Amino acid sequence: MRKVLLISFLTVICASMASAQTDWIRTGTGLGVDKLRIAVPEFKAATTEARNAQLQKVFDETLRNDLGNAGIFEMVSPSFFPLGEVGAPADVKLDAWGNPPPNAGMIAFGNLGVTGENIAVQGWLYDVKNPQNPQVLGKQYQEKASEDNARLIAHKFADEIILRLGGGVPGIAESKIFFVSSRGGQKEVWQMDYDGAGQSQLTKAGGISLGPKVSPDGSRIAFANLGGGGWNIAMYSRDLGRLVKFPSYGGTTISPAWSADGAKLAFSSSRTGDPEIYIVNSDGSALKRLTSYHGPDVSPVWNPKTGAQIAFVSGRTGLPQIYVMDADGANLQRVTNEGYAVSPAWSPNGQFLLFAWIRHYGPGAPGAQDIYIMDVASHQWVQLTHDGGRNDFPSWAPDGRHIVFQSNRTGRDEIWSMLADGSQQKQLTTNGANTQPNWSAK
Amino acid sequence: MAMNADIFDEREQWRAPLVVSAVLHGTLFVSLIGYAYIVGSGQGSSWGNGGLGGDAMNATLVTSIPLPAKPNATNVLATENKGLSQSQPKPKVEEPEAIPIPDKKTKIKPSTKPVTPTPEKPREVAEVDNKIPFGEGGPVSGPYGVFNANGAKGGFSMTGGTGDFGSRYGWYVDAVRRKVSDNWLRYQVDPNVSNAQRVYITFEINRSGAPGNIKVEQSSGVPSLDISAMRALQRIDTFGPLPNDYSGSRVSVEFWFDYKR
Repeated sequence: MRKVLLISFLTVICASMASAQTDWIRTGTGLGVDKLRIAVPEFKAATTEARNAQLQKVFDETLRNDLGNAGIFEMVSPSFFPLGEVGAPADVKLDAWGNPPPNAGMIAFGNLGVTGENIAVQGWLYDVKNPQNPQVLGKQYQEKASEDNARLIAHKFADEIILRLGGGVPGIAESKIFFVSSRGGQKEVWQMDYDGAGQSQLTKAGGISLGPKVSPDGSRIAFANLGGGGWNIAMYSRDLGRLVKFPSYGGTTISPAWSADGAKLAFSSSRTGDPEIYIVNSDGSALKRLTSYHGPDVSPVWNPKTGAQIAFVSGRTGLPQIYVMDADGANLQRVTNEGYAVSPAWSPNGQFLLFAWIRHYGPGAPGAQDIYIMDVASHQWVQLTHDGGRNDFPSWAPDGRHIVFQSNRTGRDEIWSMLADGSQQKQLTTNGANTQPNWSAK
Repeated sequence: MAMNADIFDEREQWRAPLVVSAVLHGTLFVSLIGYAYIVGSGQGSSWGNGGLGGDAMNATLVTSIPLPAKPNATNVLATENKGLSQSQPKPKVEEPEAIPIPDKKTKIKPSTKPVTPTPEKPREVAEVDNKIPFGEGGPVSGPYGVFNANGAKGGFSMTGGTGDFGSRYGWYVDAVRRKVSDNWLRYQVDPNVSNAQRVYITFEINRSGAPGNIKVEQSSGVPSLDISAMRALQRIDTFGPLPNDYSGSRVSVEFWFDYKR
C-alpha cells in the first residue's frame, strides 16, 4: 500500500513539473514592425490663376490616395495638422509636425501653380525627426494644365516617395490593370489605372475575350479569344493599337501566361484531345509540350523571380488542384490537398502563390470561394478574403504588396484590390460585369 | 509449489528494506523541498528580475532610438537605461585627471598641456555615439537601429565612407531595418530552439542599393537561425539606391538578430 502511495505521489509531482513546460505562444512573421507616419498637407497655390483650386484638389486627393494605398505608411489625419499653409521648406516647423498630435515621421509638401497653359508642381519630402538634414527628396514637375496631368504628377511624386521609403520597391501609382468587361456588349479587354480611374476599352476582337495577360515590358497583351476557329490565343500590341498575328494550334487553346523575360508564353491547349500545358516562343514558334497526364491541365503561371518553375491547375485527381513543376516539366508536386483550387498567381519575388480556393467543396459544404496566399517553400497558407461571394482571378501588383481580384460579393462580378495581407479591400469598377484582372509588371 | 514458496519467502524479506527506502526517499524529498525553499527564497527575486529585465531591455532599446519609427512599448524601465548612460559621463570627467600619466612619462617636456585637450574632444564625440546602443551590450560599434517582432529582435549599425551615414540618412537606415525584418522568416528556425545567442550578419550596400558580401560575422550556434538570417538578406534584391547626395560608393552594415520563441 505504501509503495502504491509513494508511486502515485511521485507521478503527481512529475506531472506537475511537465505541465509547467507546456507554455506555447505562436505568432506570425513580420509582426510588430510599425508603419511610418507621413503627413501630406494641402499643396499651396503658387499663382493666382483661377484653375489652381480645381487642379490642386485633384492633385491632393490623388497624392494622399497613392500614399495611403501604398501599404507602408500610416497617414496622419489632417485634423491633427498644425495651422498655417506649407508651400516651401521655409514654412515647415519640424517641431510642430514631429511632436504629438501629428507625430509625423515624414512630411510631403509643396506648391502647385498654373501659368498660362502649363501646370508646375514643386514637391519636397522631409524627414521630420532629423532636423539637421531633413530633406529626403525635392522634385519639380511641369505638364500641360489638365486634371489628368495633375493626377499623373501626383502619381509620379508618390512613386518617388514610395521608392525612397519603401526599401527600393518602385511604387505602382503609374501601373495599369487590364481586365475583361462586357459593358460594351461583348467581352473585350479593358484597361484602367491602378486606382480604378481612367477606364477605357482596348480591344475590339469580337466574339468572347478572356484571361488578358500583359507582357513584362507592357507592350503586348495575350488573351484567349473565341472566334470562328474556336478558342485561340490572340495578341494585342499596345504600341500599334491593334491585334497582331499569332498562330493557331488547334483544339481549345486558352490561358496564356508570359515568362518573366517576356521571351516565352505558356498556355493550355487540347490539340491532342486532353488539355495540356505547352510553351512557345513569344512569336508562336517552337511549340513544346510540358504535361502528359490524363485529366485537364490549365492556367499555367511562371515563377517571375527565377523563371524556372511553372504553377498550374490540374484535374488529374478529380477536383482541380494547384501543382508546381520545373519549367521543363520535371519535379511535379501538388501544393493544395483538398477542395477546389484554381487561378494560381505567382508573387513577383517568387515566394508566394495566390489562388482561389473552395476548401470544402461538395453537397452540404459552405462552398465559399476565397483568395488564399501560400508560401511556396513551406506550403503554409493564409486566407485573405472572408466577405462571402465568389472571389477569383487574383493578380499581383509589381510591388508585391497589392493584389487585384474579382469578386461578386456585391451581387455582380467586379474588380477589387487589396493589400497582400487582405486589408484595405476596395472596389475599383462599378459599371457592368468586370472580370479576370491582370496587373501590369510596371 | 516449491517455486511459489520461494517467492513468498522473498516477499517477506523485501518489506523492511522497502519501508526503509520509502522513509529515506521521503526524507530526501522533504529536505530537497526545504533546501529549495531556503535557497530559492534568496534567489527567487533575482530569477524573476532577470527574466523581466530581458524583456524590458527590448522595449528600452526601441524607445531610445532616434529613428522615425514609433516605439513599440512604453516601459518603465526605459528610464533606467538612460540613467545608466547618463552615469557614464561622470567617470569620464575624471579621466582628464588621469591624463597626467603622460606627464610622468614626459616630465621634462612642458608641452603636455596642449596635448591634453586634443584627446578630450574625440572622446566626447565617441560618448555621443555610444549612447544609442547602450544597454544592449552589443558589438563595439553598436546597433544603430532595432526592430522588434514579438520576442524576436534584430538590430544593426551602418558605417559609410564619412562615418555619418546613419545620422544624415536616417530614413534610409529605417528602410533597411524594415526590409530586413520583413524578409526574415522566423519559421525557418528550428522549432525546438526557444532561445539562442545573437547572430551577427555583415553586408555591404552598393550605390544601386543591392546587398553584397553577406557574411555571418558571429554565429549564434544554432545553424538554422544563422541560415534564416542569411536568407533574409539573400532574399533582398535591393534596398533602393543610396541617396543621391551621398558621396561614398558603398555602406557597410552590421545587422544582428535576436531570436526568442
